[in-house]
Amino acid sequence: MKYVGQSIPSFTNRTLVAGHGQYAADIQLPGMCWMAVLRSPYAHAQILSIDAKKAEALPGVLYVLLGREIENTVGPMPLRADPANYGGKTRRTCALPTERVGFVGEAVAAVVAEDRYTAHQALELIDVEYEELPVVTDAKTALRPGTPLVEPEWGDNVMLHREFVSGDVTRALREADGVVRGAVKAHRYVPAPLEPRVCAANYDPYQDLLTLWASTQTPHTLRALLAEHLKMPETKVRVIQPHVGGGFGMKAVGSPEEVMVAYLARKLRRPIRWVEERTEHFLAAGHCRETVLEFEAGYKKDGRLSGLQARVIADVGAARTGYGWAQSFVTAYCVPTAYKVPDCTVELFSVVTNKCPWTGYRAFGKEAASFLMERVLDRVADATSIDRAEVRLRNFIPANEFPYSQVSGAMLDSGDYPQAMRKVLELIDVAGFKTEQAEARRQGKYLGLGCSFALTPEGCALPNSFIQGYDGATVRVAPSGQVTVLTGVTSPGSGNETGIAQIVADTLGVAVSDIRVIQGDTETCPYGLGNFSSRSLMVGGAAAKIAATQLREKMFTVAAEALEVSPTDLDAEDGRIYLKGAATRGIAIGEVAKLIYQNAHGREACGVEPGLEATRYYRLENVYHQPEKDGRFSSYPTWPYEAVAAVVEVDPETGVVKVLRYASVHDCGKIVNPLLVDANLHGGIAQGLGGTLYEQLVYDDAGQLQTATFMDYTLPTAVEMPSNLILEHQETPSPFTPLGVKGAGESGITGPLTAIASAIENALPHLKLELMETPFTPYRLWQAIQDASRG
Amino acid sequence: MKVPVRVTVNGRKHELLADTRMVLVDLLREELKLTGTHIGCGTGSCGACTVILNGQTVKSCCILAADVDEQSITTIEGLSTGAHELHPIQEAFVANQGLQCGYCTPGMVLSALQLLTDNPNPTEDEIRHGISGNLCRCTGYVLIIKSILEAVKAMQAKRAA
Repeated sequence: MKYVGQSIPSFTNRTLVAGHGQYAADIQLPGMCWMAVLRSPYAHAQILSIDAKKAEALPGVLYVLLGREIENTVGPMPLRADPANYGGKTRRTCALPTERVGFVGEAVAAVVAEDRYTAHQALELIDVEYEELPVVTDAKTALRPGTPLVEPEWGDNVMLHREFVSGDVTRALREADGVVRGAVKAHRYVPAPLEPRVCAANYDPYQDLLTLWASTQTPHTLRALLAEHLKMPETKVRVIQPHVGGGFGMKAVGSPEEVMVAYLARKLRRPIRWVEERTEHFLAAGHCRETVLEFEAGYKKDGRLSGLQARVIADVGAARTGYGWAQSFVTAYCVPTAYKVPDCTVELFSVVTNKCPWTGYRAFGKEAASFLMERVLDRVADATSIDRAEVRLRNFIPANEFPYSQVSGAMLDSGDYPQAMRKVLELIDVAGFKTEQAEARRQGKYLGLGCSFALTPEGCALPNSFIQGYDGATVRVAPSGQVTVLTGVTSPGSGNETGIAQIVADTLGVAVSDIRVIQGDTETCPYGLGNFSSRSLMVGGAAAKIAATQLREKMFTVAAEALEVSPTDLDAEDGRIYLKGAATRGIAIGEVAKLIYQNAHGREACGVEPGLEATRYYRLENVYHQPEKDGRFSSYPTWPYEAVAAVVEVDPETGVVKVLRYASVHDCGKIVNPLLVDANLHGGIAQGLGGTLYEQLVYDDAGQLQTATFMDYTLPTAVEMPSNLILEHQETPSPFTPLGVKGAGESGITGPLTAIASAIENALPHLKLELMETPFTPYRLWQAIQDASRG
Repeated sequence: MKVPVRVTVNGRKHELLADTRMVLVDLLREELKLTGTHIGCGTGSCGACTVILNGQTVKSCCILAADVDEQSITTIEGLSTGAHELHPIQEAFVANQGLQCGYCTPGMVLSALQLLTDNPNPTEDEIRHGISGNLCRCTGYVLIIKSILEAVKAMQAKRAA
């Protein structure tokens, strides 16, 4: 029986559905106390003094930690994604500040108390005297000379400036038949996994051993950072990732709170827990995506793009210790996405403001690049009166030109974009839509259809950062023949452990039920980078396959001796190694394992090294970090993509948009587990629709966040999800990964941005709306309709 | 200040002293060590802390522990007697991948249970509204709805048998 390609529900389902999962907040140790964090009420202010005496005197309070102590002991946090490595600027940042706060919600002090209620009561007793400083809340304003500086020693508000150039865009724009100009704007999001950030630490002074349980995507990277920062031997720090209640890219390394919990547990010799409150998550866990993308695009009469000048201005918030800013780099890196635009210049400004720093979020900046290109093509379609889908078909990189070197140096691996687009139009019934639209119009309803394309490169590997393109796996066959797989990749709940088990089961020829996968413990698992950029099957699955193949060969050698045949004549399935073409002549894998473990000097096993365990690493192909000409490099080995189409109903009186049906044709290469790929896509589409229609972080001019609860930041519920969701897959195996997989975790989220915008425009053609700024909440759309009606 | 609370949880009677500031979810998680009930927001918006109180679903982050004196509560731990004796709703979630990270799942399952208790044969639309107080960030609700529809069939078959 072969498992790869089968829909197998995730191994963790039974435990989690029974409420027996163990998340970081569920860790309860004897004597455990709580940490709570005091946060800045100001967006930019000097800290004049902090008086914690009253808090320290409150019964039940164990300790109050201030920035001065951190500064004098462990100093600034090490960075794992430093903008300076990409030509940008570095900021020296301690887990708690000593002099200045730079965004509302920045940690100012931490209290440890016997229980949560006392810890929070103590926060109110800390007196901090602030002197407010000028606040910068808008990236374009921040770029103007004379604007106050977010980081005074930087001299300007630009963290990173890059330019990607190909061909001669000035000539191309001059020679174009027409030029469209404008800007698209993406709003600010919060990733909002349902489990907020959580960690717990325990310190054993006798062994000098620090254990941290963290809701993290990157246990080994976190261990290395804690050891370096706390000046402990790396072997004496253990990071355990229990069940994680969703990550979506935001739970990788760089959180000051994890450092503080670890530091305090070691100092106070008490186990400590920190559970982020939802409002803290909104204020301080990290935001993303707020970007203005200005464009000037030249086109030919037939709708082909002849040149593109793009300017990416990303509001990455305050510069701190995280990696979220890198998304702005990825946005610029991905333009012009799936299209052939040889004459193209992309300029990036990653701009700091007095808002929450960015953190990673599903699609990691790729969505902004696609949003830009898709809206540009819609404007070209309108200008040339060519159908919007047809314009895309005329501009796609053709299937026979892969691997294709894009403007930034990105190497697009494989695919058939036109085929995906044609298929999705068929699925949404584009042929019958005009009649459907006219019929609905007669009934007083406004229906519209929009399409879009999304390119979502995966397996990210960035030079000099924790974002690396390799990973490790250990495969161990026990004397019984049962198998343990330990991986360096982790699962935030997406089910990659099940996919990895399927790969190993096929490689060894054992039942998937005989495989146990262990992840997320630095003490037992091989060093690995964890989970991000949909890498878990691509690198973790590949490493496990290589290790399992090594054991398979060893077992075949021993089985061949036992069966007195040549190893090359053997195959394995259903727990047996057998002679090809004579399946009855075979030996159980458990028997082979027994020969190796219990008869090491015996005839069959004496020719191989004892033991049945292999640890192997896999490094991704199609990644080049030694820059080629013009400093270009390739960071993404695979380029999954998706053609999508949506039909919406718009109520022009209220601005409410209802998604009636939504279709997607998706290509993540070889599919290991169709059920789990679809499950991930469903979640991506829901987050995409939520971001397009409902969710938005809003700051006022003083840098105060106006949307800091789920009552203001409205996530989609089951009622908002379209009941008619049509998914299909193309399987174009990546030529660069051993399994042909491309990664499937981030797809789905980008498609709605343009498909919904385009569908709304199509529903109200008389208004000639140009919806270039997300989100399309009822109020914002109603306003756009009013403006267009007056215009 | 602490007050005495006598409460029945999953059929078992408990007598304890609770801080007057303590909310029900902390009583369940911290005092009774029933960590299957999760906290996602603390403002009654996400539903991760949903439990059944006297035959009604409630958000246990918004109820004071002191207020459940002499009341009866069902949490996710009360729904199954062991790993192989899951409730049909839970079995349907397992088989249909009605979960991913599992953080919203206990609340989601209890909302589904209450829905099917009140309305054993709901339409898909009624299911969507029945779980609209429970947020999920992983699944887009697609396979949750499918799981509940499958559970309806399984429970009907069980009743018929």
